[in-house]
Parts: sequence; C-alpha cells; structure tokens
Amino acid sequence: MTRAVLLPVERDWFALPMHTLQEVVAEPMVTPVPAAPATVRGLFNVRGQIVPLLDTAVLLGLGRMSAVPFAAVVQTADGLAGLATTGVPESAELGRRIGPADSRGAVATYAAGDRIATLLDPAVLLAPNGAGAAT
Amino acid sequence: MDVTGQEERFRQLFAEEAEGRLATLSELLLELEAASGDAEVLASVFREAHTLKGSAAVVGLGEVGRVAHAMEEILDGLRRGERAATPTLVDALLRAVDGMRELIPAALGGDDRAAEADRLVAALQEPSAAGTTPEPPEPASEAGRPAETIAAPAGGIRGGETIRVPVERLDELVRLVGEAAAAYLRVGRLMAERLGLDPAGVPELRELSRVLGDLQQRTLRARMVPFATIVEPLRRATRDLARSLGKAVELDLRGQETELDRGVLEQVTDPLLHLVRNAVDHGLEAPAEREAAGKPPTGTVRVHAMQLGSEVVVTVADDGRGIDVGRVREQARKAGDDLEGVDDDEALYAIFRSGLSTASSVSQVSGRGVGLDVVRASLEAVRGQVEVRTEPGGGSEFRVSVPISMAVLPCLLVEAAGQRYGIPMHSVLTTEAAGWTEASVEGRPVIRVRDQVLPVSSLAATLGTGEAAAGPAVVVASLTRRHAFQVDALLGQREVVLKDLGRLLPRVDLLGGASVEPDGAILLVLDASGLVERARRTVPVAGVPVPSGTPARQAPPVAHASILVVDDAPVVRELERSILERAGYQVRTAADGQEALAMLAAAPGDLVITDVDMPRCNGFELTSAIRAEPELAGLPVVILTSKADDADHRRGLDAGADAYVVKSAFDEQALLDVVARLLGGAAAVGAPSTSADGGPR
Repeated sequence: MTRAVLLPVERDWFALPMHTLQEVVAEPMVTPVPAAPATVRGLFNVRGQIVPLLDTAVLLGLGRMSAVPFAAVVQTADGLAGLATTGVPESAELGRRIGPADSRGAVATYAAGDRIATLLDPAVLLAPNGAGAAT
Repeated sequence: MDVTGQEERFRQLFAEEAEGRLATLSELLLELEAASGDAEVLASVFREAHTLKGSAAVVGLGEVGRVAHAMEEILDGLRRGERAATPTLVDALLRAVDGMRELIPAALGGDDRAAEADRLVAALQEPSAAGTTPEPPEPASEAGRPAETIAAPAGGIRGGETIRVPVERLDELVRLVGEAAAAYLRVGRLMAERLGLDPAGVPELRELSRVLGDLQQRTLRARMVPFATIVEPLRRATRDLARSLGKAVELDLRGQETELDRGVLEQVTDPLLHLVRNAVDHGLEAPAEREAAGKPPTGTVRVHAMQLGSEVVVTVADDGRGIDVGRVREQARKAGDDLEGVDDDEALYAIFRSGLSTASSVSQVSGRGVGLDVVRASLEAVRGQVEVRTEPGGGSEFRVSVPISMAVLPCLLVEAAGQRYGIPMHSVLTTEAAGWTEASVEGRPVIRVRDQVLPVSSLAATLGTGEAAAGPAVVVASLTRRHAFQVDALLGQREVVLKDLGRLLPRVDLLGGASVEPDGAILLVLDASGLVERARRTVPVAGVPVPSGTPARQAPPVAHASILVVDDAPVVRELERSILERAGYQVRTAADGQEALAMLAAAPGDLVITDVDMPRCNGFELTSAIRAEPELAGLPVVILTSKADDADHRRGLDAGADAYVVKSAFDEQALLDVVARLLGGAAAVGAPSTSADGGPR
C-alpha cells in the first residue's frame, strides 16, 4: 500500500507519492510568463520562493486545463514546482495495480478507494528537459 | 574527528593550498622571465616550490613532492648562476606547474600517477629544459618575449586575515538574507492592513529595515572577488601564444582591484581569454610587419577593468592591424547574410553572429574551435554586452560590460497591459514621454529619438498580453539593435533582488529573471535581447496607434555642444567619449592638462571634463589655468576623479571647478545630468543616425 495524494485534473485523477508533496495552495496568485511554453501557466510565490506553476493536463498531453483553483507544490531534486489541479487534492492509499499507463511520467493505473488514479513519477514528469517539450 | 577524517581534512586543505600556490608560482615565473632572473623574484619562486614540496610530503603525495623537488633543483641552479632564466627554461617550469595542476587532484583521488610524475621530472631534467645549455639573453623587445606592465592593485589584493569559505555557504547566506528582507516586507504589509500602522512610522521597524539593507549589501559583497583573480590566465595566454607565434607583445593590465561577483567573473573569464587570444593571434602583426608599417615591433594588448555605476567594464584593445570590415562583409555574404546598405560600424557586429566562418580572419583562434558568437552568448548569460570598434591599421577595441552582481539588478519599472515589468537599466538607453510622434519606414512604425530613427513596438503586443495604449516609449538596446517599446506608464527605477527560478522552468527568451514584490506579487524582469528579437520577428498588423489628443512634439533645439575629455587613462577617456557621443555630444580628448590647454587655445569648446592625477599638468592645475585665461574663464569644468576625500573636493572647487564627480560613485546618467546642467540644459544632439533597424550599441 502506498500513501498518495490524488490530484483531480479535469475528469481524471492522478496520484503522487505523498512524500513528494510539500503543500497545497488554494487560488494561487499566478503571474503569467509571456511567450512561455504551454506547460507553464505562470509563476507563483510559495513562502517567498518563486515557483513555476505547470499545467498538469498539458504535461500529460491531455490539452489545456480550464481553470487552476489549486496547486500541488511538489518537491523534486531540481527544486519546487506547482502542479495545477481543477479540484481539492485528496489523500488516499493506493490499492492494487489495475493497468498500465502510456503518458510520459505516468507509471501505472491504480485503484484508490472508489476512484481510479494514474500514478505519476514527478522526476520524469518534471524533468527539466521535459517540462517544456509538450508545447 | 577520527584519523581517517583528519587525513581527509588535511588532503582537502592541501588541495586548496596547492591551487593557490600553483597560481602564484605561475605568476612568479612569468615575472621571473620578464625581470631577467631578478634575485628577489627568484627567491619567491623557490620558496613557493619548496613549500609545495613540504606540504605534499605531509599528506603523503610523494609524486607531487618529486616534481616540486625537480623544480627546486633547477631554481637552485638559477640562484647559483649556473643557469639562466631563459624562455625555454620558464616554458619547462610552467609545464611542470600545469602538470601538477592535473596531477594533484588525480593523486588525491587515489589514482596512481607515478608515471606522470616521472615524465614531468624527466622533462625538467632534459638539458635544454633545465637551461644547462646556455641560451643568449634575449632583448626585452625580442619576438616571443612579452614585456608586461602590470599596475599593482592599490593596497594589495589580500590584506588582513582571511579564511576560506565554500561558495555554497555564501550563496545560502545571500538567499537567507533575501528571505529575511522579503519577510520584513510582508510583516510591514500585515501591520498596515490589520493594525492600520504605517511601518515607516515605527522606529524599531525603520532600524530593522536599515540593518537588513546593510546586511544584504555586505553579504552580496562577500561574494565579490577582484579582477586580479583572473589576471594569471590572461598573462599565461598572452605569453604562451606570443611565444608560439613569434610575436612581441606587451600586456598592459589595469584595474585589477575592480571587484565583481565571483559567478559573473567566472562567466566572463573565458570570453576575455578568447578576446585576448584573438588580439594576439589575429590583431597584432608580426614584428617585421609592424616595423614595415612604421609601428614599434612590440605590439600592445590593453586589458583595463573599471567600475562604471552598477557595471564593470573591461576593455580589451590592441594596436594591431584592425579588423578588415570588407572581409567580414564577404564572410557574412557567404554565410547568407547580405550586409549591403549597412554601414561599417554595424557590419562589424556580424563577427558575433553564429555560423560566420571567419577562422582565417578575425573571430577565431586557430585550434580553439569557438567563435565570437560564443563570447557573445557567454556574456548574455550574465546580462553582459560587448561593443567593438576598429580602425584599419590602428587596432581594435572590445568593450565588455557586465553587471557587478547577478543578485541585484537596477531596473526601470514599466506597466504594459496592466502588468508590471522590470527592464534592466543597462539595457535602457532613454525614454520618451507620452506624446511622441510615430512615423513609418517600409511599413514598420518608427520613432525619432534625437537624430535617430528607431523601430517602435507596443510592449504589450510584443509580449502577447494585450493591446497598445497611448503612453511613453522606452528605448532598449540589445547587443546589436536598438528598439523602442511603447508602454502604459513608467513606474520608476529601483534595484531588484533577483530570485533563483530553479531548473524546472523551461527557458523563456523574454525572461531575464524575477523578483518577489513587497505585496507578494512576482515582478518579471525582461531580457532585452529576447525582447528586441521578438519585436523584430513580430510583423505589426496595424502598427502602433498614434497617441490621440496630444500634439506632435517638436524636435529639441540643435546645439552641438563640444566637450573636451582630459584623462591619462585611455580606458577612462574612451568610456567617457563613448557615453558622451552616445548622448549626442561632440567629444575631443587629451591625455593631460598640457595637451588640453593647447587644444583649448585652438578651439575653446563648451565644457571640459578632467581627471586630477595626470602627468605634466594635473587637473587642478588645468582648472586654475582655464580660470586664469580670460578667453576661457567662463568655460564649465567638471573634475571626474577617484580622489574622494573632502580636501581634494575642496581643492578642486577652489581651483574653479564647477562640479566634482567621484569616479567610483558616478554612473552614466549622473555624468550626463551634470553635463546637461552645466550646459544650461542644452540638449545633446547630433548623434550619428542609424538605419531604421537601429544601429549597434
């Protein structure tokens, strides 16, 4: 059993290992970055640190998110990043593996209570050379 | 600490010590060669080699000890007069130093480098290397023997006690101080919002603000290192290349005490090395060719560093053949870049473009494989710029400008489409108040700024964030272009503390950095080069709307004010000339007071800017002489000097100067303001016109 945080992104749920989550920011005050790749929604301030807010759906090749009411702040070896979500992230135990996943940075699909969530690998999903690729 | 831990600590200390000693050894060997075996220098070289040998023995690096011992033996022979400090011998000793630079980290890492040490020792013991085969002493000007004039840094570089601190710790301190300052601002905002208290009215908060400001300045200063830090590789590059090419080169180094951020200096080292190598390799002629051209056989490469406001400017100049602009045009044409219709000054900047193959002419040193486009890219990475000018037969000058620190950046704040942005001040040439007149050249909107015609775009439209609104214009200079941007409003100028953006944000050409504002918002700092490039690529759909309801401005009255700049330091003279000419003034220069008086007698001009310490007739004497001459008595005089104490200031004003500006405190705008004030507001005009694309900066 893996403790995870579930991120609602449009109609899908994605899971991140709980230890990678630093905090969740509601209604992040985003400063758009002109001419940035579509993956970048902008920059926001997390306790004095400037953090890129990334469009989770664009990162996964699912199109642009309609709104960004929440940001899950994720800690990686390359620093902090915000992953945009369309609803309140939830904590859950990942159950059995129920299928593969095709997207870059996606590990596999799991049952999480009554939900189905795709487990993400932040190191791959947010790799510096990858974040700007899906434009 | 256990024994193993202690040993590791000693070895680490040795690595740090050896790095310093090898750099000193290299410096001293060059000095020894230039000073023809001076006994005092020789004693210093011997002492360094001996100490290195002893330290290596302490940490059990026998290989290093053997090489140092072989050096010692040769140096001992020199001391006893059995050998001469010939260039060949110095070559061998320098190669041993280079060899130890590679040997030490490998040996400390546990590699067996005995064979390499044997090779280095054997090379030192060869008769030709060891100087046992006497070579005739070479005259100072002989080819391959760079005579160096090094201006010693005032007060020495070291001074006082020092401790070594890992750079990461300093970076962490800088970051934490920045966090503290940001937290202070948040507290102030909360007090205002929740308690209705003005933080500026609370003495304790004012004191905290002052202390935090001081702390920030001093922490940033702790990362500063003197320019002298990179002098040794510059000297080595000059000396080695001159020897290999059979050229006689004098390296004139000044401003070694000039300080800048360690990270910036690291980034600027390779570009400067490249420019110096270029000067020696391609700029300077062979001695015979120089003599045929009526020049002294020894060529000069000047590397002068100085602080100018928030920037450090390093000039690399040579008195060689100059850059053949015709050849640059030809190479550019072959690379598909037609420069027809572009004047020579601008065409020259093609040498910085990637893909321009000029290996046989100006931009590459054989075998190095990097061109001037790499120099430009390296400088742009630290928000630096490079300017070039050349004179056929007279030499070339590259002027490199970099910010003193990457952490704090003076910015002009502007608003476009409701969003605030910072534009680095070093990229801002001027601003035009709302109401400026737009014209059109080849279907593109342009603006007249003094006598220049520049392309103009809406900043909001360029950024893709909105439409243009009637407002002022900011003229921005990238490396090779000038471009005006219309903004909603100018919000002022201030220093912006840049924050690390981490590695997860993909590169965005328009973005130079970002900062957290007191209200927690993020201020984006724009990158001038990216901005100008994007504006040039963006074809205007309907142009920038002409502001309505405001009359077209009339051009300012023409008054070609003539200014005489007097300074014995060529780099200062040229900097002042550059600043003043860019502002539209006519500029003459003189190297001392006596030359200045002769020039003033021929044509008085409108204003004099003079240094104080100069040969023959200093600035105070010049000012007094001007005031004593009835025809010149009304001429405004500005004293621009590094002499900052009150007594000098009084002496300058007593001599009759109208203004006294201290060099370390002056910046471009301050100088221009003083000049404009003394000329009674007579605007600087008559700047050379450029194409509608804007000329090189």
